[in-house]
Formats: sequence, structure tokens, C-alpha cells
Amino acid sequence: MRMVNLRASYSARRVALVLAVILVLGFLLLPGQLQSVFQQMGSPLGWIISWPLQVVAGIHDRIADVWGRYVALQEVEEENQQLKRELDLLKEQNGQLREASVATERLSALLEFKKQVLPASVAAQVIGRDTGNWYKTIILNKGSSDGLQSDQGVITPAGVVGRVVKTTASTAVVLLVTDPNNAIAGLIQRTRDEGIVEGTTQGQARLKYIPLLSNARPGDHVVTSGLVGGVPRGIPIGTIIRIDKEEEALFQSAELSPEVDPNRVEEVLVIQSSSIPTEGERLGVPKPKS
Amino acid sequence: MKALIYFAVIVGLVPIQSVLLPHISVWGVKPDLSFVAVCLVGLIAGELDGLLVGLALGWAMSLFSAQDLISGAVLKGTTGFVAGLAGRQVVYLSPIVLVAGLLVVSCLTGLVTPFVLKLSVQQDWWWAVWTVVLPQACLDAVIGGLIYWLMWSRLNIEQLMSESRM
Repeated sequence: MRMVNLRASYSARRVALVLAVILVLGFLLLPGQLQSVFQQMGSPLGWIISWPLQVVAGIHDRIADVWGRYVALQEVEEENQQLKRELDLLKEQNGQLREASVATERLSALLEFKKQVLPASVAAQVIGRDTGNWYKTIILNKGSSDGLQSDQGVITPAGVVGRVVKTTASTAVVLLVTDPNNAIAGLIQRTRDEGIVEGTTQGQARLKYIPLLSNARPGDHVVTSGLVGGVPRGIPIGTIIRIDKEEEALFQSAELSPEVDPNRVEEVLVIQSSSIPTEGERLGVPKPKS
Repeated sequence: MKALIYFAVIVGLVPIQSVLLPHISVWGVKPDLSFVAVCLVGLIAGELDGLLVGLALGWAMSLFSAQDLISGAVLKGTTGFVAGLAGRQVVYLSPIVLVAGLLVVSCLTGLVTPFVLKLSVQQDWWWAVWTVVLPQACLDAVIGGLIYWLMWSRLNIEQLMSESRM
């Protein structure tokens, strides 16, 4: 039988109650200000937690590595990894070449197309996933001390991963492109129609606000338009797998299969927003014909 | 000593939640260990400990999630406080009662969370209930029940509660 202790101090209960009321009031009245204060205060705590986080992630990676190399078939695993890397590289080159090809056709009379160069970026490793169930995020092992900031775009050679939404001194949280709360400006590579790519609750992505007259079709590639989202133009987002056209709707939408499988991402590049080239800088100044 | 234990719980739970639990998620939903820990701390050590550990743990977990910091801290703090109040009212707490309690409180917290977080329109109430709230509540209840049963069978919970609440 449990002893009920009624001696627990009355003042302690009163302090607890006052604290709770102050916090709830603060939350209701000053959500924005408190958010930034808590974020600033959280940086040292985040730094402390990042140590055990990286240790656990390291142990986890080592176990996964040992499993992949020695318990599973060693050579097949290595070959598979190599082929995946090559495939990712080829996808990136393919996306860039398609973009280059379309832009060259459109602007060939005006511009001498230069090779697209990605802006300065920071390489980071994925060390964890969201601590809750409401958002689809990954945690990176680089943070504000490495120059990472909110709203910077995150990519792999295969395509867009998401954008940074939160940083501590040594970690960053990236909201994935497949999260319904994420939105990024996209462009259908063949038809040049622009729209907004949002994640879906099924873990896919959807391109919204495609003009009704667009002749987009399944199989078309969607890339970043470079307008918003901290990512330069022409980075692959996904491939259209279905077009949805509703009667009397002003726009059509398309379901996308993302180029990057967020569950398998291990290393990423974080694009530094300030160094994203403009369209003019990227394509170069047109030279007069001699 | 108690503060050190709480600090170790806070620092230790974040890596477990973000690195290891995604591997044992069921249909993409993983249990919320911080919720279970806060409820147990509240029940065993009282509402003040529950509130403070809840605030700190909710804040720490939010640092490694897209969830905003305040709502995470306030929700977990409130949960710890309520668990402390409930623990004061319950005369005999068996693992079965705890499992039922965790199931109900996890459901209630889960139902409040989407409104606090202002999620996308795709993530409506029904989606939240069937996809996150109910599966997570079941997992939380099972894991909380297991931890409490282990403590119950090996420790003198009544004495621990009396000492912790002094």
C-alpha cells in the first residue's frame, strides 16, 4: 500500500504553480520574444547534449558499419555503396545537364552559357532524426559555429534534402522536403512552369499551383527555381508521377517522387545563402558577337 | 544528487530519442521517452520536480526538433505538473493503473499538440489522431508500464515516493 505523504511542502507547490502560470502567460503573450530568448539560452545546453548525441551516433554508425561490412556480404555491400554513389553523381550531372540544355536553347542567341558552379557549401553528417513524431527532420553535426543559419538550403548530389530551421552551436535541424510544413519554389524542367513544392503526409512531395494550360506529364523532372528556399536554381527535387486536375480548379497539381530518399541520407551539403548566385551571375554576362 | 540524476536523464534521453528510437518506430511513429520520464518523475517525486524536469526536458528535446521551443517546454512541464498532482491523489499505483493513466494523458497531450504547433492543413485532426496520437499513446503506455513494472518489482516504490516528496 502506498503511503501518501501530505507533508510535501506547501511552498514548493506554490512555487511550481507560480512558475507554471508565468510560463503559460509568457507563452501566450510573448511567443516570438520568448522563442528567441529560449533559442539563445539553448545553445550551451545544445552543445552539451551534442557530445553524447555524437557519441551515440558514432557507436550507432560503427555498429551499422560492422554489420554492413562483415555480417552482410562484404563485397556486395561495398559494390552497392559504390554504385549508389555513382548513381547519385550521375543524377546530379543529369539534372544539371538538362537544366543547361534547356537554358541554352532558350537563351542561345543572347548568352554564352557557362558551366554551373554550386555556391560555397558546408559538408555535414546526419547524426539523428527528429525527437518527436510531428515533423520530418534530420539532425546535422554542424551548427552555428560552422556558419550554419536558419533557412539555408540542404542538398546531396542527388537533389534537395530540405532547409535548416534551427541551429545550436554544434548541431542543426533540417526540415525535410517531404514534410508537409516545408515549401520550396519548383520548376518543371521541360515546360518551364513554376509552382510550390510541399511535402505530403505520405512522405512524398506535391507540386502545387501549376497553370491549367501547362502540358506537364508524368516523368517530367522538377528542379528548384532558385527564387526562395536557400537553394540555387536547377537542383533536382523529384519526378512527376501523377497529375491531378480538378474540375473548376484554377490550378493543377502534381505528385512527385523525391529524388532523395530522406531515410537514407547520410552526408549532405548546406548551401550558404549569402553566396547563392543570381540568375545573371550564374549564366554570365552576354558577350557581343564579333 | 537528485539534480545530477535529472541532468543525466535530460542529457541521456535526447541521443536515445533521436538516434536509436527511429530504428524501433512502428509505422513511422516512435514512443516519446521524455513524456514517459516526465510522468514518472512527476508521479514519484511530486509536481515541482515534474514541472521543472518537464520544462527542461521539453526544451532540450525541442532544440533537436522542428517543434518550437516554448510549446515543447510548456507541454512537457504541464504534463509533469499534472502527473505530480495525480500522484498525490492516487492511493495505490499498480503498473496496470499507470499504463491506463499514461495512455489517457498521452492521448490528451497528443490532441492538444497539433493546435499548439499550428501544423500544415494536410495534418488535420483525424490524421493526427490515427497516425500519431493513438499509436504514440500505446507505445508510451507500454514503455512506461514496463519501466514502472521493473522499478516496482525491484525497488520499494512507496518508500521512494515518500522520500522523494519530502
